[in-house]
Amino acid sequence: MAAWVKGGATDADAAVMAAARLLSSAHAPVFAGLNAEVAAIRAAYDLAGRIGASVDTAGGDATYADLGALARVGAMQAPPAEVAGRADAVLVVGEAPLKSPLVERLRGTKPVRGRAAGAERSIHHLRSNQDLAVQIAHLRAHARGHMTSDAGMAETARAMASALYGAVLYDPGELGTLGIEMLQGLAMDLNESTRCFALSVSDGTQDRAALQVAAWTTGQATRVGFGRRVPEQDPWRFDADRQARAGEADAALWLASLPTPRPTWLKTLPTVALVGADAAPDLAEVVIRVGEPGRETGGVLWNEGRAGLSYRAPEQGADLPTAADIIARIAAAVAGRGAVAGRSAVANSEDA
Amino acid sequence: MPVLTLREAPPERLDFLAVNPLALSGLSQGDAERLVVGTTRRGLVLGDCFTVALDGSDTLTIAGGHERLDRVGAAMSEGAIRVEGDVGQRLGAGMAGGSLTVTGNAGPFAGSGATGGTIVIEGDAGDHAGGAVHAAKVGLDGATLVIRGSAGDYLGDSMRRGLIVVERAGAFAGARMIAGTIAAGTVGDHPGYGMRRGTLVVGGHGSLMPTFVETGALDLVYLRLLAKSLRPVSARHADLLANAPNGVPKRYSGDLATIGKGELWVAA
Repeated sequence: MAAWVKGGATDADAAVMAAARLLSSAHAPVFAGLNAEVAAIRAAYDLAGRIGASVDTAGGDATYADLGALARVGAMQAPPAEVAGRADAVLVVGEAPLKSPLVERLRGTKPVRGRAAGAERSIHHLRSNQDLAVQIAHLRAHARGHMTSDAGMAETARAMASALYGAVLYDPGELGTLGIEMLQGLAMDLNESTRCFALSVSDGTQDRAALQVAAWTTGQATRVGFGRRVPEQDPWRFDADRQARAGEADAALWLASLPTPRPTWLKTLPTVALVGADAAPDLAEVVIRVGEPGRETGGVLWNEGRAGLSYRAPEQGADLPTAADIIARIAAAVAGRGAVAGRSAVANSEDA
Repeated sequence: MPVLTLREAPPERLDFLAVNPLALSGLSQGDAERLVVGTTRRGLVLGDCFTVALDGSDTLTIAGGHERLDRVGAAMSEGAIRVEGDVGQRLGAGMAGGSLTVTGNAGPFAGSGATGGTIVIEGDAGDHAGGAVHAAKVGLDGATLVIRGSAGDYLGDSMRRGLIVVERAGAFAGARMIAGTIAAGTVGDHPGYGMRRGTLVVGGHGSLMPTFVETGALDLVYLRLLAKSLRPVSARHADLLANAPNGVPKRYSGDLATIGKGELWVAA
């Protein structure tokens, strides 16, 4: 197993002990990334609860853009397989969803079931030549019949209203909460006379797997803190980037067994990094190479097509530990140091 | 007058939900110093960061604010708090009555869900002042929020009741407004995004939503009544309506993406 402490190669036990030392001596640790298999995310939540850490995900901003609208107005949402199987009109909002292979799949196929089975599929595109949220509002005003002044908007609104099954694809990070709420309002308006669903195109991270784990573990979404023992959800306070910028976090666990864009604070904050194939000695203070789920190790991941969790077997055998194993070993070492959440425990660990 | 004097910058965010004149009036000096205000496993108590001096009166002074003091005056129902310095997020959130004055700047979500009382921020406010926190249905809900400096983006987001008076606001002021009044010297782009009802009075603005339509320059009795109610809070904002530079203010109606019963009055 490859592991490094302060840039120097070391063995697994020494790296785990260094990680436990770093995390147990921190007052306000942050667990970030969580772009990993479900078992590792579960282990991270368990350890976070023990040491009073807060938790955030790699795609936290986009996730909360979706959740913000969902919590206020609900959502008319369909999974990709349903959209591919049933939609005869698709509206792509902005540029980011165009990168999804789903759009090519939709262009090359026709609906095969439901009311629109056998019909041609029309694809419409709302370009982001100005604020996307504003454009969605403009479209909705035309769809409601409150405006008729923009011919392009009127045409798109007519196409979605006359579809048997419409779908609107968007990227939550690109559209933002206000735009998503407006888009959901548009879908709800259209459902007065036909069928229309929104589809949030994922950014490829395991945020949705983390959301499932967060929900069944804490009853809340991600961006939760355990500093006061009970889980507290606060998307502003527990934004990992904000905490690092504000100097509130004093240590971090970066969990990314899948390839993940790295935050800038990784090298400035004392960090334990559990990473896959892109592990490097200088990535963080403690770096431990773990198996990449679905490629080097087995693991349960978010299945984008089915919009659910499913097991992915390894493509190749690799003698690498899973991130869940490493976190469990760190948790055992932390428990051995007596560092659990609470004022006296921290005092004890400082004395030690 | 009870006084909390900040000894040094707090090492973490502090939660002041339980620190208000009413709560402190029933506590001994020792009990007040042992109030838990920390938010990490340090378990900080009030006495760790502040020198506490109590006298049982209903006006609390926090001498030495800090941007890490969260929920100052939150859920307060009576009395007064004066903060000499800055505060963090959720100033006066859910406040039902009393008065709250901050001489410095406030973090995001000031006055969120406040149903009564008056909040005055003499410096600047962060994003979502008078706006809704995550998963909340409404922002400001009946209180009066006065910001002497600038407010960030999303001022009064999902506001349902009450009054916000601000010198300058960022983009999306009055977004998703349900009702209530915002008076601003200037606002940024896209004021009133998704608003259903409510009133925005502005001296100047950035880009307007295409879903707002001009409905004329109108001299309504209602505007004079609104100006009269604004005058005790801010004469300058009352003058936006009563003494508009170009005569009567222009009215825009929106947001037509929703039910479109909101109004934007532009004095300039």
